[in-house]
Amino acid sequence: MLALLPRLRRFAHALARSPSDADDLCQTAVERALTARAQWQPGTRLDSWMYRIMRNAWIDTARARSRAAQTFVAEEVGLTVGDAGDRAIEAAVELDQVMRAMARLPDEQREAVALVLVEGLAYKEAAAVLEIPMGTLTSRLVRGREALMRQLGEAA
Amino acid sequence: MTIDPETLMAYADGELDPVAAKRVERAIAADPALAEQVAAHRRLRTRIAGSFAPIAEAPVPERLVTLLSKPDNVVPLRPRARPRFDLRWGAAIAASLAIGILIGPMLKPAAPVRVGPTGLVASGDLARALDTQLAATQGDAPIRVIVSFRDSSGAICRTFAGRATSGIACWEEDGWALRRTVSGAGEARTDYRQAGSSDPALMAMAQDMMAGAPLDAAQERAAHDRGWR
Repeated sequence: MLALLPRLRRFAHALARSPSDADDLCQTAVERALTARAQWQPGTRLDSWMYRIMRNAWIDTARARSRAAQTFVAEEVGLTVGDAGDRAIEAAVELDQVMRAMARLPDEQREAVALVLVEGLAYKEAAAVLEIPMGTLTSRLVRGREALMRQLGEAA
Repeated sequence: MTIDPETLMAYADGELDPVAAKRVERAIAADPALAEQVAAHRRLRTRIAGSFAPIAEAPVPERLVTLLSKPDNVVPLRPRARPRFDLRWGAAIAASLAIGILIGPMLKPAAPVRVGPTGLVASGDLARALDTQLAATQGDAPIRVIVSFRDSSGAICRTFAGRATSGIACWEEDGWALRRTVSGAGEARTDYRQAGSSDPALMAMAQDMMAGAPLDAAQERAAHDRGWR
């Protein structure tokens, strides 16, 4: 039940700059999807449709938002840092680090990375969600990945 | 031979066709630096995917779940010339968003679905039709069972056609779990796909799910008598 929500939340976290922004974004996207439900074509992929709605919602909100640095609170993600032991803490720290690196990417690279690396979409599917040609997707993706490798200390 | 960064990345992601992949493999064999770049792409992919994975595994915050179960709080009803829609609608759509299907826009006040622990489950008239009707003897019922069969797990599944919703439901512990739904035939609408035994998309889906042949009339009655188990 509610099978898509966890993936939508993950995608929202990959786009947004903080966990609380991510859940706001998720809420906005679900609301929009409910309002626009008649536009979904049965037989097409609901997840792609939802990704597209969320991505558009993110563009609408993120670009209006100030770029002031936000405090990242990994607990908000649902990782109970307090008593969950070292592994959970490590996971929270790792997520925080990756989210910070993602947040530094230009939007067009971040959305490509979010769809392909985080959500695991094929290039073709990601290009369809973003409504861009494959070549545009791959060039944004490769630049985004190179930047992430530099920031996260992965030699390219 | 030079391999551009996009192609190398696509190779690392398994996105190249076999011919192009072979070409990259030859280049990699000749140049350890390329091999290292491929490895770096894969490490990054694993790391990014892994670091976001806990989010998809974490419980969804209550407010998002609430949003889907109580859409009347959040769905703005625009004052334009649209009939006020039944709120059950929103609930049904919310549920279908969650499981990847969409119930037709003709849901009647007696909603034919409810949300079970693992997805949509037939209720009301639909559940009754699935429980009681036999494909051979149902006459002119509003919801018609088209064909019954067993899926690969051995569960009894039934393809049904109604005005609001047509689909395929399979018997589970909790009732008739809706595996597939499509918009039904509708009442006053002519632009809708005709539901019924000839709905080709639905029958193709049934065909895919089916293990062996559909149940004949005697087998269907026997399954009915066993409580569809």
